[in-house]
Amino acid sequence: MNRSTKLLFVLLLGASLVAFFLAWRNVIEPMDFADLKTVLTTTTATFGSLLGIITAGLMFTHGKFSELASELDEKSPHYISGMLSLEKVQIIANNLLALRKDFSLLETQSTVEEEKDLYRRIVEKSSSIYVDFAVLSDLKLMQQGLAETDLMISGMDPQLYASYKKERDRVKKEWQILVTIKQMVDTWEGSTTLVTKKNERRASLQQDLRSSISLLGLKEKLDKNSKQVRAEAEGILNELTEDLGKIGRELRLERIPQLLSQMEQANTIRGKYFYFALFFIATPLFVNLLVLPQLSVATASFFQPVISITSSLSVLGIAFLLLYISKILNV
Amino acid sequence: MKKSAEEKMKTLLAKYTYPPVEVAIPILEKAGRGEEELASQIHEIDLSILSGLIKIFGLKEKNMKTVAKIFGVLLSYYGQKYEPLVLSENRFCLSVSDCPMLHVGKNVDMATRSKYCDLLCSSTAKALAKLVLGDASSCSWDKALIKGGRKCIVAFELVKSK
Repeated sequence: MNRSTKLLFVLLLGASLVAFFLAWRNVIEPMDFADLKTVLTTTTATFGSLLGIITAGLMFTHGKFSELASELDEKSPHYISGMLSLEKVQIIANNLLALRKDFSLLETQSTVEEEKDLYRRIVEKSSSIYVDFAVLSDLKLMQQGLAETDLMISGMDPQLYASYKKERDRVKKEWQILVTIKQMVDTWEGSTTLVTKKNERRASLQQDLRSSISLLGLKEKLDKNSKQVRAEAEGILNELTEDLGKIGRELRLERIPQLLSQMEQANTIRGKYFYFALFFIATPLFVNLLVLPQLSVATASFFQPVISITSSLSVLGIAFLLLYISKILNV
Repeated sequence: MKKSAEEKMKTLLAKYTYPPVEVAIPILEKAGRGEEELASQIHEIDLSILSGLIKIFGLKEKNMKTVAKIFGVLLSYYGQKYEPLVLSENRFCLSVSDCPMLHVGKNVDMATRSKYCDLLCSSTAKALAKLVLGDASSCSWDKALIKGGRKCIVAFELVKSK
């Protein structure tokens, strides 16, 4: 946690304590009707001002998000047309299917849990990359105005097809193609963005495959049956390293992982601002339309706790805003 | 295009991958076979990696500094945090905060962990003796991590001839 975030947390905590202290005092000490009405009007006015600031924040984050999206939109067609020829996609797909088949068989044959886990991971990751390739090949044909071939779909089982459908439905905008490519490269060689924490790093397919090949080499000394699978896996590893490595290198040269990570952060903050704005619209509306018209000397005591809470919320709101503004400035 | 030292190192370490010990140990234990196969494979890999690194980084001097450099490069590649403690002409001592034995299943008992810890460390020590320090060297490790400690101390020493 850096110094400015710590300072904001201290501010937030202080503001919360003051707000709750004031709210508690107001609840236990009865106010007169006129005071209560003034508090209510001031609170709704504060909410209005905060809503203005939140809307500005929302627009700012959305602006940042759109700017990044258009930058990525421009890069996307180059990848689809330049990097992925149908022939190349076919070779990679066949290799991935072969890995899936071989390691599924090894998984069923193995009796050691740790070994089964390793092979299961390879099957899952090969399937995930296969699905990503199927989506990309589909989008490539669509982008180039060519007829869809369903070439890769024909090699899928129902489970793989369900994953394909899910991933295909997720891609709705041009730049999201790059998310699929990054996902595929990350599955193959692991994430390379600096924001990824060490303990969040998962072993890549490449790493698992190398470990398995080494393990099969060790098993070869115990029984000779692993030799053929090992040789096949080694061949596939070399081909995939060359093909997917090239895609990964291009991706990093264009700084796409960094741009996508910034987009993800902007999107998260944008989402939070949106719900924040909703809250700051709804609360004054609730006070103005429901509480204020009902407010009489008799109902004042009934509404007093509600008014105390909304007043304290407006103080809390300022502290939250400071926190989010600091976050968006760091995107 | 000429490859940089980092790229050459990446290719080298990708080519010679250790079998994952957290998987290899249960297989070997289940097969009832000794650890000789693993020991010989690891030793071969160690020799290939170390001689490759010596070539890539041009580490011609056969002394403790070279051992320290090799450890620095290797441990940081595998994402391990280490701290150099002593580096002199006759002694190189470092502490490491991670060990492959910490990643084996809970069902692997202490004696087995200890046995494989010796196997891995002695293999690297032998390879370093063969390629850098010569026969008049020794290596010790305190196994503190597998005993529940936070850091394990590894020490290389040159045995002084009388």
